[in-house]
Parts: sequence; structure tokens; C-alpha cells
Amino acid sequence: MTDVDRVLSESTENYLETILLLVQKSPVARARDIALRLKVNRSSVSGALHDLSGRGLINYEPYGFVTLTPEGTEIATRILRRHEALRDFFVNVLGIDRAEADEAACRMEHGVSKAIIDRLLDLSTFMETCPKVGEKQARGDGYRCREAAHSLEKCELCVSRCLENVKNRVGKGDSNKMSVTVLSELKPGEKGRIEKLAGAGAIRRRIADMGVIKGSLVEVIRVAPMGDPIDVKIRGYHLTLRKTEAADICVQKVV
Amino acid sequence: MSPAKERFTMALAGNPNSGKTTLFNCLTGARQHVGNYAGVTVEKKEGTCIFGEVEIKVVDLPGTYSLTAYSVEELVARNFIIEEKPDVVVAVIDASNLERNLYLALQVMELGVPVVLAFNMSDLARERGVEFNLELLSSLLGAPIVPTVGSKNTGMRELLAAALDTARAGRTARAPDIRYGQDIEQSLARIGACLDASSHKSADQRARRWTAIKLLENDAQVAARVEAPEIHQVVAAERARIETVLGDTAEMIVADRRYGFISGACQEAVRSTVESRHTMSDRIDDIVIHRVWGLPIFLGLMYLMFWLTFSAGAPFVDWLEGLFGWLRGAVSGLWPAGSESILKSLLVDGILGGAGGVMVFLPNIMLLFLAIAILEDSGYMARAAFMMDRLMHMIGLHGKSFIPMLTGLGCSVPAIMATRTLENQRDRLTTMLVIPLVSCGARLPIYALIIPAFFPEAWRAPMLWIVYVIGIVLAIVCAKLLRSTLFKGASVPFVMELPPYRMPTVKGMLIHMWERAGLYLKKAGTIILGISIVLWALTSFPRMQTSGPHASPEERRAAELSHTVAGRVGHAIEPFIKPLGFDWRIGTAMIGALAAKEVFVAQMGIVYSVGADGAKSETLREKLRANYSPLVGFCVMLFMLISAPCMATIAVTKRESNSWKWALFQLFGLTVMAYLLTMLVFQAGSMLGIGVR
Repeated sequence: MTDVDRVLSESTENYLETILLLVQKSPVARARDIALRLKVNRSSVSGALHDLSGRGLINYEPYGFVTLTPEGTEIATRILRRHEALRDFFVNVLGIDRAEADEAACRMEHGVSKAIIDRLLDLSTFMETCPKVGEKQARGDGYRCREAAHSLEKCELCVSRCLENVKNRVGKGDSNKMSVTVLSELKPGEKGRIEKLAGAGAIRRRIADMGVIKGSLVEVIRVAPMGDPIDVKIRGYHLTLRKTEAADICVQKVV
Repeated sequence: MSPAKERFTMALAGNPNSGKTTLFNCLTGARQHVGNYAGVTVEKKEGTCIFGEVEIKVVDLPGTYSLTAYSVEELVARNFIIEEKPDVVVAVIDASNLERNLYLALQVMELGVPVVLAFNMSDLARERGVEFNLELLSSLLGAPIVPTVGSKNTGMRELLAAALDTARAGRTARAPDIRYGQDIEQSLARIGACLDASSHKSADQRARRWTAIKLLENDAQVAARVEAPEIHQVVAAERARIETVLGDTAEMIVADRRYGFISGACQEAVRSTVESRHTMSDRIDDIVIHRVWGLPIFLGLMYLMFWLTFSAGAPFVDWLEGLFGWLRGAVSGLWPAGSESILKSLLVDGILGGAGGVMVFLPNIMLLFLAIAILEDSGYMARAAFMMDRLMHMIGLHGKSFIPMLTGLGCSVPAIMATRTLENQRDRLTTMLVIPLVSCGARLPIYALIIPAFFPEAWRAPMLWIVYVIGIVLAIVCAKLLRSTLFKGASVPFVMELPPYRMPTVKGMLIHMWERAGLYLKKAGTIILGISIVLWALTSFPRMQTSGPHASPEERRAAELSHTVAGRVGHAIEPFIKPLGFDWRIGTAMIGALAAKEVFVAQMGIVYSVGADGAKSETLREKLRANYSPLVGFCVMLFMLISAPCMATIAVTKRESNSWKWALFQLFGLTVMAYLLTMLVFQAGSMLGIGVR
């Protein structure tokens, strides 16, 4: 939530939203239409409009037309997006009736942070597109697709990988246990998928710059003759690092 | 017809080992020079290349993996692009290692300069079964792509043509704007708005975006340029927000998104047809850095390097010695026999005897540099660092310190300059201070003079090896000592690439070797020649006016030399160096060696050509054998190995550490240590009767 979000009251937000809806239909909004839509009387409308114009969110002359300033448009768009996100979630995912969904969204839209809305949107897209629904991704991300762009070909690849995983687990009799460990614990020849980079500061950034990023595949190739730095293959090249640094890299063993 | 030529500046940026230098050599040929970036000591290579009517200045930026503010190289590369505004930047990309190489290229593009991508070693990538859809990739990345093969000199015309087109267009038509995702973009917009409201307003949208990204990434250097406190407040708030929303620091998310963008582009435009898990390079590594065979092979290679330097160089040295002998004879022939002419003495004894005595070791030096060039260019040096890191870590240093130390075998000056690759100042200073203990090429002439004089054929190579090992062991001990006293602190992490092995190109090696041999020759031609003349003067003046009642000419000459300045100084310090087994002649030569180690040889030559009968053409070695025991010979080598490095080393230490304190510490610390250790060895040796004839 931005600072502006915080200082706006619920009714102010409703005013902005309504103005935006009206402006989208015709170039300008009139105080009368606003009063009609919000079901309030004309005098309280003109008071609120004075207030909004004082804050620089709308352009308004008494008895004239109302338009939104760029800042006002931005805020109103955000509110509308929240409203639509909530409504769509109710309709598409929860299967609620549209009118009821609209009403609930109207009341909820003011108290929900942007982060929650974003996750909700992610979840909606995920539920609608991913056939893997039900497999919780153990990354603290909730249900959402890791690939930014959805294409059916990618989905096909992903699902087949998922099936293979299940087969492997069944074959190993290891139904649900995740083998999360650190890179320094892997033996030469073993592979892992990077889960997390612990550690701090410049060295962590350096390791990330070298391509050691969450989700990439890494294979331990060998250990140096004197036993310390290890040689791993990542993104098709050889990277060497000491075991102390490798101990800060969490990986999930890949069989 | 002399049309006003167009001039362009073109910078080469790329990862280490992307073949950038090979490409640079291809483009500029012999028209290049090496210098330093102003203020910092990172190597700067510049050259020119003519393409049609256009003169292009090519600048080789230091090889980096990223453009953060964490290392000097990265700062230099990025500041060059921002401040010097080259007309076009060629991002050199190792096509067989696309993703990590593109990561840097993407950051270069973000700086808002016109960029051309050179897909270098594209032949190698094709051999490995990688297929590129260059057209698609080019449109995804928003920059023209030219496939090149530096080692075969192909694709250069196309590269230059594309670079010129891009430079003329001013900006890449549609450079990509990587979208960092909603949360980051929102932060960038807020920081950007804040920048616009302040005095950092910039007309260029891309520059503004870049500054905002860097601020969000917590880049110390960019942050320092922004004064307004309110911007810092906004940045801090946004960083905190990103961390709560996305669960990691902004710089990590940014790195993640960049790699994400690259992976996406590569997935669409690159196809690997052959699943090659085990490349040639991997197979070599299976043997060369094997857990058991790795170290013996490493030690064997080092031994081979010294054998090559010493034994294989011997015939050339003999030939050069013959040449200088002939020259001296020819020059003295211009004067009547028995002439006492000062000019003749200056030419024959001073110049030819002094500088010539150093020049004859040029074959040794060149072979050593050749061996180092092969190790470096083939990719073995990184393996050496990998294998030696455990050892280096034990003494509190970084495996990368091993490379400057190994370079120290050639010359301490470039070695100390090579410590720039170390990011930690404590590591850097420690490495710098102990590097002179690693026996440099300039000390080789001393060993080359002394070892054959005192030791039988079979003992010569092992003896040389022993001297080098002593130096390395001492360097380790001193580093450990320094690291646990003066430079206490946690050691630096070791994150390094093992580049694929490559066949070194003859051209590359020759350029490499010539750069360094050239430095040696320049030293011989200037400093050493000057010192030789000064020392000749010191050993000739003041002249004795009356010839006293001496029985033989030898005695008369000895008395004459005692009378000179050098003789007097040598005599004066004789009581101090007596416990080391040295006489005043060696003392005199050691003073000369302060200027440059190899002057010791020149000086001994002069001292003896004066002190003995010049008519008999005995070689210097025979004279040494007649005058000293093998133990003294060994002590001379030991003292010269440890004692004060040459003036050039002291000067470069001063420059690199930016303080006279460390330079003087190095000078006196090493000399005191040399004195004590040599005394110990000589006294013990004399008592036990080892090597006393």
C-alpha cells in the first residue's frame, strides 16, 4: 500500500472508482450521475468533490463537469483492479453468482493489500490454466505457475515432468519425502536443483551473478585433490567453490 | 585524396575466457599498446584498426562476469562505458556458454549504449551440437549478432560492419527493456519519480532507469553519487518492501529475473541437438585434476617448465655468450694492445660486459615466459588455483593468489599488478608483500651463472628446483605469518570458473611472450645499461696515480680496485657480510643488484675483469670456482632469492598498495630475513663441512 492509499477513506475510494467508471463511458462525469450511482444526496457529493479536488485528485468546478487528474486516474485504476480481481476470483474460482460477487468485492476492495491481490490473481491464473492443480509447490509461493508466460506446449512438458517425478517416487517407495540438503553434501556425480541461497553480502551476489539461481540444476563433478574446493557444473560450465560457500546453497537432490 | 576519415571508438566487453583478447588481437594486429586506466591499476589495452575509410579505436575492457561495484575490474569496465561513451560496445560472448555470457551482455545493454553481440567460438558451439536461431535471438535481445571465430580470424569484417552500422544509428533500434516483474517495476517507478524530482533529473529515460536499478540493487558507487537524503529514504523503503513481498533482497531478485529473461530467450532460439555430457575438456580434467594424479602432474609440469627454461635454453645462451665474446674482442681490437684508454674500458668492460652479460640470458627468460603463456592460455592456470586453494586457504589466502605468485616466477612486477584480481585488500597486500620471495626471472641469470659453476651436470636441474621450492616455502610461511599478525581477518570466498581447455594460438603466445620479453629487454637497455655504466665508473674511479711496488699485474689490479669507490664500499661492508661467507666483491655486486637483480651478474663480470688478468680469456664461472666454495655459491643464491627485491618491484608495490609504508616494509623486512637465514645456512654448512670443497 502506498502512502496515498492509506490516507484515503473507504468513501473517497468509492468516489474515485465511480468517477473512473463514468469517465470511461463518456468523457466527463457529472455530480448528478455520481449521486445516482452511489445512492447518496447531491449535497454530500459536492462536499466530497471539493475535498477530492483540494487533494489534487480530480478537476472540479462547482456545477461543472468532473474529470480525474493523472494521479487520481492512477489511484482509481488500482481500486478498480482490486475490485475486478476479487470479483473474478469469486466468480471463476469459487463459483459465486456475479451480482453477489460484485457486492462482496465492493466491500472487501478497500481493506486488501496489493500483495494479496497479486497472489490472488496468480492463483486464479494458475487454477484456470495448470492441469497440475493439487500438487502444492513446496516453495512458500502458494499455488501459482513459475513460468511467467503460459503456453500449452510448456504445460505439456511440465506435466510430463511431473508424471515422471511421481513414477520415480513410487518406484523408490519414497512417497512424499523431499530430500533437501546443501550443495557441499552432494557427492561427485550427484545432481540437485537449487532451492535457496543463504549467506549474505557481496559473496552471495557474486554466486548469483555466476548463474547460481533458484531453480537451476547443478551437478557436483569432483573434489579438488586436497579435498576442498569442489567443481560443479551449472548452466553448462564448470564453477569451483569452497565447501563453506557450497554449504550456504540449499539444493533438492534430483535422482 | 585524403578524405576526412571518420573516427569511432569501439569497446570490447565480455567474460574472462570469452576469447575477448584473441578477438582484440585479430582486430588490431600489431597496432596496440598496453597501459593503465587513470587512477587505478587495471590493465588497459588499446589499438586501432582501419576499416574502409574509418579509423576505429578499439579498447579492450577488463574481463568481468557482471557490472556490480564489488570489484575494481567491474567498476572500470562500467565507468568506461558511462564516462567515455564509446560509439559502440561489442559484447563478446562465448557461444558455447551462452547464458552466463549473456548475463553480462544484458547489463551492458542496460547502460544504454549501442551494442553488437559477437558470438565468439561459434564453431566450437556448433561442433557441440548447439543450433542458434540467430535472427530470432537477435530480435529477442534487441541487438545485432555476428558469429565470429577469433582463433581462425573469421567474421571480423562482418563484425566491424555491424558495429559501424550500429554506431552510426546511435542507439540500438530496440534494445530490450527487461521487465523485472510488477513489484520491482513499481519500486523502479517510485525511485525514478524521486530522481526526477531531485537534482538528478536526467533527460535520458534509460539512464534514469539504470540509476534506479542500481540504487535498488544497493550499489555503493551509484548511491554515493546521489546526495538527496529523500532518495535514499525511498530506496531503503522500497528495498524493505521487496524483501517482505518477494522474500529476498532486491539485488538477488534482479539477478534472478535477468537469468530468467535469458533462459526464456535461449529456450526459444537455441536448440541442443546432441546431448554431449562429456566434452574433451572434461576428459582432460578427469586426468589432470584427478584426486590422486592431479598434484603429481602439477609438480611434474612445474619441473618441466624449469627444465625447459634451463636445459633447453642452454645452447642459445652459449651462442649469445660467444657472440658477445666476439664483440668484445672486436671492439678491443680497435685500440693498440695494452692501451689504458678510458673509452675502451667503458665500451668493453662497462657496456658490453655489463649489459651483455644480462642480455645473454634472454633465451632463458623468453622460454620461461613462453611456458607461463602456454599454461595461462590453455586454461591450466585456473586448475592450478583450484588444486592449490586448499593450501592457500590454510595460509589464509585465496587460490587466486596462486596465479600472481606463479606469475611471480616470471617477474614480480606484473605479478604484483596481477594481485588486482583479489577483491580483499588484506589478501592483496599479503600476496603483494610475499611475491618477491617467489623467484623471478631476473634472478635466473644469477642461478644460471652460479649453478653450472659449482655443481656437476646431474645436479643442476634439481638444484634450480630446490632454490625455487625454498622461495615458495618461505613465501607460504611469511604469508601465514602476515595473515595471522598484521592482516588478521576472515579469508575471502573462492568462486572461480574453470574455463574449457583451449589450444593456445601461436599468435597469442608470441604476443604474450613478446610483451614480457620486451619489458626485460627494455630494462636491460635502459636501467641496466645505465647502472652498468655507473657501476663501471664506481669500479674504475678514483684511479690510482702511482703504480706502487707490486710484484705482479694481478696484485696491481686488485689494489687498484680496492682504491675505487665500489671497492671502498665493498670493503666497508665486508665485516657485516663475512658471517654469510661473502667477500667485498660479492658485497659490491649486491649493491648493484638493488637496482635490478640481474645486475649482480653484470657486476661480478666487471669486478672480475678488473680484478684478474684481462689477457687470459677465462670465463667468469671459472673465476668463481677458483675463488669460492659451493657453499658460498649456494649462499649467494639464497641471499639473492630472499633479499630486497629490485627497485622496480619496490616502486610497483608502492603504487599498488598506495603507500610507501608497505614498500619500505617489504624492502627492509626481506633484507633482514635474507641476512639472518643466509648466515644460519653458511654457519651451519661450515660447521658440518657441507660444500666447503
